[in-house]
Amino acid sequence: MDPREGGGMTTSLAFLGVFGDGIDFLVRERQGRGGGNVGGLQQTGELLWGHIKLSIAAMLAACAVALPVGVVLGHTGRGGFVAVSVANIGRAVPSIALIFVFFAWFGAGFFNVMLALALLAIPPILTNTYVGMREVDRELVDAGRGMGMSAWRLVRSVELPLALPLVLAGVRVSAVNVVATATIAPLAGFADTLGDPIINAGVYGDEGRVGAAMLVALVAITTELLFAAAQRAVTPEGVKLSRGGSRQRSHFTNRRVPTTP
Amino acid sequence: MLVGPSGCGKTTAMRMVNRMIEITEGDILLGGRSVRERDEADLRRHIGYVIQQIGLFPHRTIGENIATVPTLLGWNRTRIAARVDELLDLIGLEPDIARRYPAQLSGGQRQRVGVARALAVDPPLMLMDEPFGAIDPINRDRLQNEFLRLQARLRKTIVFVTHDIDEAIKMGDRIAVMREGGHLAQYATPAELLAAPADDFVRDFVGADRALKRLALQRVRDIELHRAPLVGEDGAARSDGTPDIAYPLVVDDQERPLRWAGAGAGDVHRVELDDTLRDALSGLLQSDVQYGAVVDVEGRVAGIISIDLIHDLVQREEPVG
Repeated sequence: MDPREGGGMTTSLAFLGVFGDGIDFLVRERQGRGGGNVGGLQQTGELLWGHIKLSIAAMLAACAVALPVGVVLGHTGRGGFVAVSVANIGRAVPSIALIFVFFAWFGAGFFNVMLALALLAIPPILTNTYVGMREVDRELVDAGRGMGMSAWRLVRSVELPLALPLVLAGVRVSAVNVVATATIAPLAGFADTLGDPIINAGVYGDEGRVGAAMLVALVAITTELLFAAAQRAVTPEGVKLSRGGSRQRSHFTNRRVPTTP
Repeated sequence: MLVGPSGCGKTTAMRMVNRMIEITEGDILLGGRSVRERDEADLRRHIGYVIQQIGLFPHRTIGENIATVPTLLGWNRTRIAARVDELLDLIGLEPDIARRYPAQLSGGQRQRVGVARALAVDPPLMLMDEPFGAIDPINRDRLQNEFLRLQARLRKTIVFVTHDIDEAIKMGDRIAVMREGGHLAQYATPAELLAAPADDFVRDFVGADRALKRLALQRVRDIELHRAPLVGEDGAARSDGTPDIAYPLVVDDQERPLRWAGAGAGDVHRVELDDTLRDALSGLLQSDVQYGAVVDVEGRVAGIISIDLIHDLVQREEPVG
């Protein structure tokens, strides 16, 4: 099969071989095998936007469930083991299986795949939120309670800020999973994701499949980096100081301070 | 001052005061009012709380940590800032430390900040659970002395939990010695506890050196001293009262001791009025003398102390058996 079938490609990308063809597909429209035009910036943009939209919707749904449950369980310390176990059993069921199960209730489409992805995203968020809340030093919670903080106040100003980096680590894992898994959406009848060129190579051609795969990888890596940055950003200054060897970090203050008891 | 071996329930007893542990039987009255009638959060906000690990919030600055309870009570910003400055001054830390984080402070500084945080809204009652437990022995002694000075100014009611009998004797006005199972073995002042332990458990707990510990509680100015005949350098008698020991002491015209009179008599060992009896005894033993001249801050003779005098004192208060 001639990889250049869909149209000529810019010479500058030729040395990238099959990857060059993929990139070319993403930026330039060409005649698809099914007859209609495929590829090009506009379609790439549409697929990318659909992919992101689906991922964000799934993540929002997952967070809406996992965060409050994780916070409440972590704060009370009750039922956490059960919740985390149930969530992990959920994770063992492949998303693709879920999608076909959901056909029975919700039929095909956006909602079906969104739900499957949300279920995929819940376990890491729930587990990390629960563990993050539990790992806050007990003496801090005791001190807070002993000074008359209400439960809500304790969660808001002590437990959650200290748990946040771990919570975000869970969100990060889930987000990357969701972005990668959103490629199966066309199987659930929601075609507007980057999974479409990958699954329906018959329509888009091999260069479409490679191009979309590369873009999915790029989006996943970007997601990872974004959340890694966010995780650093939400780590409280005082916690960074106590963790990362306070001597090297003494530039945070303009005066050298004793750090050992 | 609640003291006892681990597992005796002293922390539990303390935590019932601010209802961190609910009371199942009996009651605790604060200012005549049962703690059970009061709103939990409100009760706790008006009782200072210091725990062994201090529990400073690592993600909050020192200033924010100290401001915890004022913030809960809804104080305005300016009032909080002023109070934080005032408290830092009280515990002897620089005001600019308020912007630092707990990780940037030494253990001793953190401990003091923990006390400042508990004092923030000037509660009449403080609960302290082994507040010096995580501090090394040298700094602990310093912080204890510092806290005693602070307490001399603040006059708070403090429920203080410790497993260290020496700390209890040093810091406490009244000591409750507890035994496993939450039983109260004895409740007494440090001096009473040392002089008359209620039973073998307390006797053991107080330690074999309780005679010395008692001496550490009393200062030379608190006891009745011997009087020696004082003579001037010219040999003229200078004493006004009736001497009860036979050895004349030579003093200068300011009544500062110079030497014992008589052939072969040695230098005078000096003891200060503010020394503890324990230090005084140690000094006498070390200098290998029976008698020492007690001097006031100006160096004038205030009386004579002897090893026998200290010995009699211990014997007199020690019940036989």
